[in-house]
Amino acid sequence: MPTKTKMLKMFMIVAVAAIAFQPADALRRNATTNAGAGAKVGPASDDPLYRAKTLRAAADALGMVRWSDIGAGSVRLPAVDAVNTMEIWATGTTYDAGQAYKTEYHAAIGYNPPAMRVEMTRTPAQGSGAAQHTIQVVREKYAWDESEIGAGLVPGKGTATPAMSAVSSRLLQLWILPYGVLKAALAAGDKTKISTENGSAVVTFPLGGLLADVMVKATLDANHEVARVETRTDNPALGNMITETEYSDYADHGEIASDVKSPGHIVQKQGGHPVLDIQLKMVDANNPYLVFPIPENVKKAAIH
Amino acid sequence: MTRYFRCRSMIAVASVVCLLPAAVVAQQFSQVSRTTNTPVAPSGPTPRTSDGHPDLTGVWNGLGDNLIGVPNQTANAGIAIENETPTRDVSSGARIATFPRGTTIPLNDEQAERAAALMRRMGSNKPVYKPQYWETVKKLDQNANEEDPANSCMPAGIPRAGIPSFIGQAPTYLIFIYPGQGGLIATQTSYRMIPLDGRQHTPLQDLDGTYTGEAIAHWEGDTLVVDSYGFNSSTWFDQIGGYFHSENMHVIERFHRDGNTLTWTATVDDPDVLLEPWTTTPRVALLNPDPKAVLPESLPCSERDLGHLATKEHH
Repeated sequence: MPTKTKMLKMFMIVAVAAIAFQPADALRRNATTNAGAGAKVGPASDDPLYRAKTLRAAADALGMVRWSDIGAGSVRLPAVDAVNTMEIWATGTTYDAGQAYKTEYHAAIGYNPPAMRVEMTRTPAQGSGAAQHTIQVVREKYAWDESEIGAGLVPGKGTATPAMSAVSSRLLQLWILPYGVLKAALAAGDKTKISTENGSAVVTFPLGGLLADVMVKATLDANHEVARVETRTDNPALGNMITETEYSDYADHGEIASDVKSPGHIVQKQGGHPVLDIQLKMVDANNPYLVFPIPENVKKAAIH
Repeated sequence: MTRYFRCRSMIAVASVVCLLPAAVVAQQFSQVSRTTNTPVAPSGPTPRTSDGHPDLTGVWNGLGDNLIGVPNQTANAGIAIENETPTRDVSSGARIATFPRGTTIPLNDEQAERAAALMRRMGSNKPVYKPQYWETVKKLDQNANEEDPANSCMPAGIPRAGIPSFIGQAPTYLIFIYPGQGGLIATQTSYRMIPLDGRQHTPLQDLDGTYTGEAIAHWEGDTLVVDSYGFNSSTWFDQIGGYFHSENMHVIERFHRDGNTLTWTATVDDPDVLLEPWTTTPRVALLNPDPKAVLPESLPCSERDLGHLATKEHH
């Protein structure tokens, strides 16, 4: 191929890619066009450029996409999804068998490897009752409960109780967080479809791995933030349940600013019943030191 | 103002360290264009000494790869960012969503620093501490502006100093020189004289803990192995993360030369605080392409900014 033709072809490729991945600010200006304003429900789009634009805008809106060329001359690297670990502190109400509990909520999250540790202290919202303290952990195909954080790893420091039947439900909580939704939608590639409902972009895709039979439908708000996530599954481990989660009041809630936005308010229902309604107090989104080593007894339990 | 010095002045304002020595070294290479943060491919022969071992002698700061620059530091954290292909976490193999370089826009100083802080910490290869120290590590990292010993011009220590910028190799000893850079941090210049004569370690109880410990070296095939213990507990053992250690830390460094590249890893074993030994992601330095290259003088490290910090933000 002559050099001129080759350069023209390369220019075209770069130009198309640049349009496809334009940052959120540019997309926001075109939101009306993209969202198909006026249409209540638009057809699902297989257009890879539209999918790429929509997901990039959503990832930019949450501050997930980062790049840096600091200190290396003329290096300009591609942008990457820089969110891996995160810690969340919240307060609110959780529900169990119809009973409401005042809840202090603390979650440690990691996507590489996929892991989540949720610590809750719950007291009955009405009447009296002792506080319940639980620590539920999942990492990849392992789930366990801890008597204290990091239990079961060194002698004399608490016990870890295998909870293998909870792997799917705990992993689901990780992947339906706004960051998990976008990571999974990006990873799903051509299986991810974009449509519009009432003017809002809707992202639909299947999860993978142990959650391969779970379909996710995520609705973006006018700022391209993940506003609502609905999952449907035929997975018996998840009880064939529809889970609906609403996220709102996005901001950088960190004591140390990271430019990563988190929802200030999370409401979740399962099978139409409320299970969680919490307000975030603080988030550490600077990829904090969070580890999820698997206790030996949990590994052994998974084998049997 | 060059990009290098712009960002360096920004870092100084944001988090305070004296970075001039590092700047002096990196300035020579700032005009080299790269499109990936992955190590350069080796080229040229591997010279050997008269006893048949690879000759590691040389100035190992080609391309400023001795930990200078966020892309390199992200690579050191185990994130391989290549051309338009999905980024890879070297340790876990996980694929990370990647977006074309043509879509990035200039960042202001704050945005660039926050991006850098995230990217330096996004890798999965982290030392696993005993659970009773998880909060300590997290808090040290969060409060690194004040807690990081290197921010007060203390020595980087081993293995935080990384790949020496100069290695001098004699038959029975090696000289390593670290010219006041130590990666993200800019500490005082340090050096190590490492016996290569088959001697054994001094019993640990007979050693006073030091910043670089007692090192002895031997060859395993074509790989130089440097075994160090006898440290004090005043340093952190990686560039970022608040990774403190005890006086019982034991470090094994491996150096392997392939043509004009030098690959380095360090394994940290500290049973007092770690759940298991931890090995760094391999780092690669490039031989300075100038055969007449010498290390520039390191300027004094003098911390003057800590008192002016308004937030906990840091790189």
